[in-house]
Amino acid sequence: MGNISNRYAIVGVGESERSRKSGTTPLHLALDAARAAIEDAGLNATDIDGVMNYNTNDSCTSHELATYLGVRPKYVKDIQGGGSSTEMLIGDAISLIESGMLNTVLIYRSMNGASGQRVGRGYDPDMLQTALSGGSFIMPYGSASPSQWFGMYATRHMHETGIRKEHLGHVCLSFYDHAQRNPNAFLHGKPLTMEDYLATPDISSPFNIHDSCLELDEGNAIIVTSAERAKDCKSKPVYIMGMSLRQTHPHVHYWNDIDQVAADYVGEELYQNAGVKPEDVQVAAIYDCFSWVVLRQLEAYGFAPRGEVGDFVAEGNLRIGGKLPTNTAGGMLAEGYTHGMNNAIEIVRQLRHEYKGTDRQVEDCEIGICTGWSGPDIAGAMILRN
Amino acid sequence: MTTMTYQKPVPLKDQDNKAYWDAADEHQLALQKCKDCNTYAHPPGPSCSKCGSKNVSWEHFGDEVTATIYSYVISYRPFLPGFQDDLPTIIALAKLDQVPEVKIMCNVLNCDEKDIRIGMPVQMIWENITEDRALPQWIPIED
Repeated sequence: MGNISNRYAIVGVGESERSRKSGTTPLHLALDAARAAIEDAGLNATDIDGVMNYNTNDSCTSHELATYLGVRPKYVKDIQGGGSSTEMLIGDAISLIESGMLNTVLIYRSMNGASGQRVGRGYDPDMLQTALSGGSFIMPYGSASPSQWFGMYATRHMHETGIRKEHLGHVCLSFYDHAQRNPNAFLHGKPLTMEDYLATPDISSPFNIHDSCLELDEGNAIIVTSAERAKDCKSKPVYIMGMSLRQTHPHVHYWNDIDQVAADYVGEELYQNAGVKPEDVQVAAIYDCFSWVVLRQLEAYGFAPRGEVGDFVAEGNLRIGGKLPTNTAGGMLAEGYTHGMNNAIEIVRQLRHEYKGTDRQVEDCEIGICTGWSGPDIAGAMILRN
Repeated sequence: MTTMTYQKPVPLKDQDNKAYWDAADEHQLALQKCKDCNTYAHPPGPSCSKCGSKNVSWEHFGDEVTATIYSYVISYRPFLPGFQDDLPTIIALAKLDQVPEVKIMCNVLNCDEKDIRIGMPVQMIWENITEDRALPQWIPIED
């Protein structure tokens, strides 16, 4: 994106309850999240003039959400998407505000991810063959779960870099530790030791259940507006210093080229746009649909050189108190899973110093990174500051 | 008859992949090639995924096809019908010896999950899965 540095801010964040059985619809969850975000920003629902969401045909529409907030917005947008969509829609919102079309945009992700339609389960195989690019070359071989697809990249990358199963474990242990400090994390009260981790059988090698994100019923919402308008909000604005978004490889679900990932390209442009370096970043929200994805992104975003990422996490650097406290609410592995939006909400709260005086606060953090990822082919990321 | 009881997904033919699966049914490998940038495209598509050219054609590689394993995953749960009787399943990417830029997703058969490794040499075979359909698969060969 062009130079939008510090001219836009996230002014409201909110989420619904999270559970494995909400007993309600994605519309209700989205309304809970949206009302929480509007309340957090100190706005009225009628201040929202744009509503956007991403989904996989598992949510309510922006039109429905606006209807039951009692709002008649100028603009609604629903896209198909998972990882990196939070960043992509924030990019869209900024562009529309920049053009003068909108003032304040609410972006949400809501799903009954456990009790309703689950990612990678319960689809008709023939539908998957036609719905996925190259589907007929995948489904006949039994490859229908993201854990299998991501496992394939992980195996290759681990082979090339010497990353071992224990290193994946350190990612999980760090995030599980954070979840123990967060009463709203789904796995609060369920700590994990390396012994337990290594004793857990794999689902799709090299991943066991701890390496995989939680599938939950949950709604999340974020409000974006201009820095000018943010002054009228009651919340402490978190400013967007820079963003970068990118699609690279062909064939979303048939990756021939798994040696490079879109994040490799996003990283360079991101730091240039934001005017900071990796060493300036004090807190991170790194997309974690699987533990390994975190390791590959730490490499792509310059936090540890290729080949040294395993040591970086083994030294405890992802933990609060480490060099790069990451997914400090537990992440998608241990807090909740809304294709990245819950991680974005947490980094906003960290940069506001909302947990000041508790063991959850990354002390005096000023600059944070938030990344999205949807396989090697798509990435989006932003640098934020308080 | 086993052909009546095949529960796993049968590859669906469409206008873009038909040449590949028609060749597979004849126990042959066919790959799409771009005549403009000279890239082999797998999976095939309506035009070249590298340069966008519509100038694509099909090349045949016969029935003696070898590869090395580029990456793999061992799947301990069935995520599709039919695989429940076939666990653990090795799902792999085979990098063709003849065309190293092409990697084909596959199962490695006749291989214990403890023995699968990156760099393992494999050979393409064709499993007859219905009366008139065949699925390319791979089996280990000696180094």
